[in-house]
Amino acid sequence: MTLLTITNLTKKFSNKLAVNNVNYTLTPQKCVALIGPNGAGKTTILRMLTGLLKPSSGVIQFANKPKNDDARSFIGYLPQYPVFYNWMTGMEFLTFSGQLEGLTKQESVKRATFLMEKIGIANTKNKRIGNYSGGMKQRLGIAQAIIHRPKLLVLDEPVSSLDPIGRREVLSLMEELKQQMTILFSTHILGDADEISDELLLLKEGEIIESGEMHVLRQKYQTAKISIQCHENLPIYRDKISTLSSVRNVYIERDTIQITAHNIQNARQEILQIASKEQWPLTNFTLHRASLEDMFMKVVNE
Amino acid sequence: MHTKVLLQKEMLENWRNKKWIWVPLVFLLLAIMDPISNYYLPQILESIGGLPDGTVLELPEYAPQDILLMSLGQFSSLGVLLIVLISMGTIAGEQKNGVMDLLLIKPISYRSIILAKWFSLLLLVWTSLFLGITASWYYTNSLYGEIEFLSMLLVTFYYGLWLTLVVTISIFYNAIIQTPGLVAFLTILTTIILSIVTNVFGTHIKWSPVNLSTYIHEMLVLGSVTSQLIATAFTTIVLIIIILSVAIYCFKKKQH
Repeated sequence: MTLLTITNLTKKFSNKLAVNNVNYTLTPQKCVALIGPNGAGKTTILRMLTGLLKPSSGVIQFANKPKNDDARSFIGYLPQYPVFYNWMTGMEFLTFSGQLEGLTKQESVKRATFLMEKIGIANTKNKRIGNYSGGMKQRLGIAQAIIHRPKLLVLDEPVSSLDPIGRREVLSLMEELKQQMTILFSTHILGDADEISDELLLLKEGEIIESGEMHVLRQKYQTAKISIQCHENLPIYRDKISTLSSVRNVYIERDTIQITAHNIQNARQEILQIASKEQWPLTNFTLHRASLEDMFMKVVNE
Repeated sequence: MHTKVLLQKEMLENWRNKKWIWVPLVFLLLAIMDPISNYYLPQILESIGGLPDGTVLELPEYAPQDILLMSLGQFSSLGVLLIVLISMGTIAGEQKNGVMDLLLIKPISYRSIILAKWFSLLLLVWTSLFLGITASWYYTNSLYGEIEFLSMLLVTFYYGLWLTLVVTISIFYNAIIQTPGLVAFLTILTTIILSIVTNVFGTHIKWSPVNLSTYIHEMLVLGSVTSQLIATAFTTIVLIIIILSVAIYCFKKKQH
């Protein structure tokens, strides 16, 4: 099953190559995070997907799209800095959006009322958008993007500009929407990508340098590292550990023994065995999970 | 159908930002300024202290047609300026601040966006023009002499074409430029160039839209619509359609 296929997508701005030969196939019901440093081309890709920007070359093809249908009706889009008509009320804007998406006035009003409730700003539905807070605007932006129940929801930096509370609200909304549609969102906050996405696209200088399912990537970039803390005699244990076959390198860092391994699973096994056999006074044993940040730094700096 | 939704939005916007109140009012004011001030000039002079004894002041006798044309004169200068000011950001501003993005991702045509903007401005301009000319006509009739109602309607129609052209030129620049100030400047510049060209090559381009006022004058004096006026109106309409189509085309092109 595919939802969308991107083939050889390239975008040139005068002389600068913003997106270079991107290929990707999006499968339905996934939440995909597009991450990369500033200027990597995230927004450019998203804008091409939504039709706001025309590719210099390459094709974006929706699966199962009738030939004459407007691709834009498959997509809901939240720009990085959504701007609304400040003189409208939230309710009016949603109804207006719904009508432009082809819903009748009645359907639009119904759907808008439902969404205002769902995104938690129903009590301000008759207030002018000019008086909304940043978090409320962001949620209104998501509501206008999903008013026509799109197959693909594209969010450009949905949480970057929000305070922790607003961020939490938007993330849980995304968590919920994930069940109903495919979400493609860009972010430079790795924790957010870590939290809700199933798949990852890592972008650098306009090219996808790594992509795949979250747990697969995690395994691949696993930093094989264990740290141990004991009460005393650290050098003795260090020497013992260094004799183990699966261990690559051991060193002491203040009160902790840091261990890097050839094979992290084996190393854990061996160390725990010897430690329990000799009854080491362990106070802490940590198997480091590869953080997204480690992976990001590793891939981007390569 | 989208055009209708967009048009409703434009109307609501112009209502909320009070354009529907102050634009007609300004046109009304511009229109009645000349009929009233000319009529009461002797009294006005008197009230500010009068003239020294023995001064012989001969005030011109205005024909009713002249008075109505004076109102048109006001529209041609200040009225056009006002139209340029209210229209300069209508698309350009929305593109600049980004709100246009939220429209362009909806499955609507570029044509709908342009047409809705254009038509909502026309409704406002024509209503204001009609109100202004009616008021001027009323004062002309009661203070100077009679002009037929039908003539007034014809004046409104033919002069309205000129203002429509101004609106269309502004929409055109709106579609291709994102800076409202520049849109205003270029719109005014274009009308100025149009009238300079018409004046310089006057004999060759008799049917330039700029000549509409001249032929409207002729119509009022002669009391009948001349073929010149009809031909000029026709060129104006053709020009409007062409500019509008090019605007839609450029707007579509520019989005990519």
